[in-house]
Amino acid sequence: MITFYRRLPKFNYLAPTTLDEALSLLAQHQGKARVIAGGTDLVPKLKRREIGEPDYVIDLKGIAGLDEIKQDAHGLTIGALVTIGAVETSPQIQQKFGILAQAAQSMASPQVRNRGTIAGNICNAVPSADSAPALLTIGARLKLISQKSQRTVGIEDFFTGPSRTALTDEEILAEILLPDMPPNSKGVYLKLTPRRAMDLAIVGVAAVAVPEDGVCKDIRIALGAVAPTPLRAKKAEEVLKGQKFDDNLIEKAAKTAAGQARPIDDHRASAEYRRDMVEVLVRRAIKQAIGSQP
Amino acid sequence: MSELSVIGQRVPRVDAWEKVTGQAKYAADYSLPDMLWCKLLRSPYPHARILNIDTSKAEKLPGVKGIVIGKDFGGWSWGWMPATRDETPLAVDKVRYMAEAVAGVAAVDEDTAEEATGLIKVEYEELPGVFDPEEAMKDGAPKVHDYVKNNISVEYHWNFGDVDKAFAQSHLVREDRFRTARATHGYLEPPAILAYYDPTGYITVWASKQSPYFHYRHLAACFKVPLSRVRVVQPFIGGGFGGTKNDSLGGDFCAVLLSKMTGKPVKYIESMEEELATSRRRHSVIVYSKMGVDKDGLLKAVQHRVVADGGGYTAIGPLSMYLNGFMTTLPYKLPHFKFDAYRVFTNNPIGAAMRGHGVTHTRFAAELQMEMLAEELGIDPVEMRMRNAIDNPKPGETYETINKVTLKTCGLKQAIKEAVEDPVWRNRGKMPKKEGDISWGVGLSGTSYSGGARQMGHQACAAIIRLCEDGTVNLITGATDCGQGSDTVLCMIAAEELGIKLEDVSIKRVDTAYTPVDPGSYGSRVTILAGQATQKAARQVKKQLLEVAAKNWQVKPEDIEIRLGEVYLKSDPSKKMPFIKLAHIACYSGTGAVIMGTGYSSYGIELLDLTNGIGNGGCSYSFTAHTARVGVDMETGQITTTDFTIASDCGRLLSPIQAEGQIEGGAIQGLGQALYEDFIMDKGKTLNPTFLDYKMPHALDVPNIKLIDIVTDDPFGPFGAKETSEGSIVSAPPAVVSAIHDATGIWFKELPVTPEKVIKALKEKK
Amino acid sequence: MKEINLTVNNQPYRLSVPPHRTLLEVIREDLGLTGTKEGCSLGECGVCTVLMDGKTVNSCLVLVGEADGKEITTIEGLASSDKLHPIQQAFVDHGGLQCGFCTPGMILSAKALLDKNPHPTEEEIKQGIAGNLCRCTGYAKIIESIKAAADNMGGK
Repeated sequence: MITFYRRLPKFNYLAPTTLDEALSLLAQHQGKARVIAGGTDLVPKLKRREIGEPDYVIDLKGIAGLDEIKQDAHGLTIGALVTIGAVETSPQIQQKFGILAQAAQSMASPQVRNRGTIAGNICNAVPSADSAPALLTIGARLKLISQKSQRTVGIEDFFTGPSRTALTDEEILAEILLPDMPPNSKGVYLKLTPRRAMDLAIVGVAAVAVPEDGVCKDIRIALGAVAPTPLRAKKAEEVLKGQKFDDNLIEKAAKTAAGQARPIDDHRASAEYRRDMVEVLVRRAIKQAIGSQP
Repeated sequence: MSELSVIGQRVPRVDAWEKVTGQAKYAADYSLPDMLWCKLLRSPYPHARILNIDTSKAEKLPGVKGIVIGKDFGGWSWGWMPATRDETPLAVDKVRYMAEAVAGVAAVDEDTAEEATGLIKVEYEELPGVFDPEEAMKDGAPKVHDYVKNNISVEYHWNFGDVDKAFAQSHLVREDRFRTARATHGYLEPPAILAYYDPTGYITVWASKQSPYFHYRHLAACFKVPLSRVRVVQPFIGGGFGGTKNDSLGGDFCAVLLSKMTGKPVKYIESMEEELATSRRRHSVIVYSKMGVDKDGLLKAVQHRVVADGGGYTAIGPLSMYLNGFMTTLPYKLPHFKFDAYRVFTNNPIGAAMRGHGVTHTRFAAELQMEMLAEELGIDPVEMRMRNAIDNPKPGETYETINKVTLKTCGLKQAIKEAVEDPVWRNRGKMPKKEGDISWGVGLSGTSYSGGARQMGHQACAAIIRLCEDGTVNLITGATDCGQGSDTVLCMIAAEELGIKLEDVSIKRVDTAYTPVDPGSYGSRVTILAGQATQKAARQVKKQLLEVAAKNWQVKPEDIEIRLGEVYLKSDPSKKMPFIKLAHIACYSGTGAVIMGTGYSSYGIELLDLTNGIGNGGCSYSFTAHTARVGVDMETGQITTTDFTIASDCGRLLSPIQAEGQIEGGAIQGLGQALYEDFIMDKGKTLNPTFLDYKMPHALDVPNIKLIDIVTDDPFGPFGAKETSEGSIVSAPPAVVSAIHDATGIWFKELPVTPEKVIKALKEKK
Repeated sequence: MKEINLTVNNQPYRLSVPPHRTLLEVIREDLGLTGTKEGCSLGECGVCTVLMDGKTVNSCLVLVGEADGKEITTIEGLASSDKLHPIQQAFVDHGGLQCGFCTPGMILSAKALLDKNPHPTEEEIKQGIAGNLCRCTGYAKIIESIKAAADNMGGK
């Protein structure tokens, strides 16, 4: 039967004021609770009855200290409640992790960026999530906390499938740790979309290059929307590491990256087009990162 | 024409204040105490027999007050013509498209109504479905309706001249297959209705209806209530664009019936996903186009075989197919024309009307084909068009096409001249063709659309003008402003005719209890036909006032003029009085007079000859020359549109700000259909019924638009006006696709031209 | 039921509503402020845009509990008694609206833009309204209206 819902399903709304309280509620209502940060993914999913009808929605926004971007000796920490808009406009992020600011700027709309969080974007884990390729190239580490334990997981281990992550029912992604990038590194995030606003990425490519006298000291390439999860194109990286940046080698790396993609056909694009575009975007991203192309 | 005082002024629309302050009320904004909410249950299959509906569990849910199913409407059905009344408010025996409505629930709140729909058990027998119109026409295809053969909903065969002979004599002939997108109106206001059936047998609805009188007649017929007891109150409408809001929906009838059953008002609002998945869309049309020209590029013959995806029901299909053909003989001289049209039932959502109705498909095909022929012959595309374009008839003369479409003005040549003088076209040779990965191209189109539709049934518009004793005026008409600005234009016409200021004319929304019947807002008819009615009503009032003034001044009425609120003697303007004084004198003469004027449009009817395709579909025709500049990323296929220059012959722009808005808006809808908009279907299921994936242009996607106004002062008028609202949606797609060809060397014959299609074609070219 | 306190257009309200209501529903149905519209209900069209603590949000995506303690500005809060806000006036003068359904959200997005960036370029204007669809105007006169509002408000 088909009903097109305009209203949300019924649930109880809980607004804990400390992280401990939130974690305790999550543990208590195992599997029957959903956490809300920005709500820009959760609310549409609830409206369309895509994730069933949870008994509880736990709002994290009353918890102090989760909405900060903090600097320490190793890098930056982004709290769970930091919005996409805050990341987009943060001078620290723009300076040290420009690629993430670029990704943030490319997302959705101003209204959604005012509410949605980077943490939420990762936990929603659609293969086209724009923050994911950037975070993969940064090598972000994620602090997952439950009532009983704390663990830190590398972002490359976080995504386990389309809309699936390593997060358990009792855990909250509390912090995203961004280790400082090597000096002289430049990152570029390219997002392929039909329109210039609002669209999900058909292909998302993040590339961070560390050139030294024309030689590739380090290169990190990550792909979004072309596999069940966002992924690092490590084989493509190996093509360039330690080698001189030249057009042929960059092209070879791009082709290798395309080979690492496992895209599907869907109503937004075909697998073939996606794969072809990985090659184009990886090439462009690398060239832009090393400054040989505007 | 003597100097106009109000017409042609750049004035804000008369309802702007209400809209910018949020005071304007749309259908969903209305509430009544004790109101119930209606929700529909829809079919999960695109084609299935309904075996049984069990509402018992839903009825028991606390808060549920009434449930209706298909049988409760007593077998009533509706349609555009008596022979095509094949649509029922709710499906009765069969569902014919995915998510067709099968039941309606009224409950104390929408949560409960939604929950109740989940408790209704429907037993279906799934039937094989057919989703492609050409497949559906074949013998052995699943039958969508039993009352037709081979699923053919509408079929026309028109023949003018002798195309076979003309093709044989042509220097060059092309045959190509084109296809237009699965597009929809995309208004931001989902359809909504608040209905109250009061126990005395009086129906009142507040409903988002672009043409309220269609709905008024449907309600009267469905519920067997006299027309005088059907009241459609028209709220502000959040966009119409033809199609759904010009028709009635299952939800409308359910809301009224549930109100009748429960004795309470019932509100129904569609969700946007519901609207995009189930509502009427523009037909997607396959055009097999054959075109022959002589060695100088002059058209000798055009033959079109058109196959349209009609979806599950007929709706306005017969008119859609007529409009696909009748204007193919415009805007170029065409001596031979053959048209074979098929509208085919499928198990897809219903194909119906949308802005640029019908013409947009075949004009797209013909424009591109003409450019292809020009390219083969080595004739410049501008020259090709100028050689073939219809000339502007001299005053008093009429141009007639081979299928007897007649027109008195045609500014196409002037439009083309001015469009190509504009830098976008003029500088195309001087600008870089390639910049990095971007290949630039400029394209041109020359198109036409009809206005002043006056086709069958009741086609007269009427207006009443009521003079208030303080000299202000109420304009009462059944014509609908669905956002296009007609209220403003009609007020301007009234003000101009009476000689008063625009701010002294007041107009309110249509209310069928008070306003005269009106055929509706479609076919770009409101300015022309309701405008004429308004003129006549105003002249009647003016006549009465001039007689009063003449008596007062002891002169003849024809010696007096009124302009911008001043009444004066023509021969000695220093002899004057303010209009307000004249109004006062007139209203207080004798024991008091009520000064009113009425008028109705008298352009008569041209009965559409659907069978033979002969005659006018409108009173006059707009002409548009449109240039477009695009940049194609040759590696990704992404297309950026930087410039549109649109030269429009709309006769005369009566309300320039509103008219420009219509031309700009139509052009961007056309851009959407050229590049972005398409419903992706999978066996009847719409895979992208959201604005995320049904991609309408955002502000960042639109080009700079430059408008050029070509004035031809059409005698149909009023004040020389022709249609302004649909020309640019027809002109945009061929201009854009022509530009893409200039950039890539490839002719794209299927819309929309998505990045993926571009890359695929570029690969194949290699 | 959830008790919430919120300020809407400088008016304090104390409401008791079911927790699964959205801010949009509360504004329209509990407060009777129907100027804010419901379009797609999924945060994709922007017609439900309001200002929440000065920032634009899609009110169809905000749970009523999340609005507790917040300051909300809807379109009804812009004009002062009898005078239109300069942005509203600019839309009126330059034809930045046709059917008017996207207009409340569009004007609030324009306000948020001009509050932060009083002299935006055309590209910045387009970015500022990127989350607001319009189907009628083709955006041309909306952009013109916002430019004019910027000029008028900047005192040029």
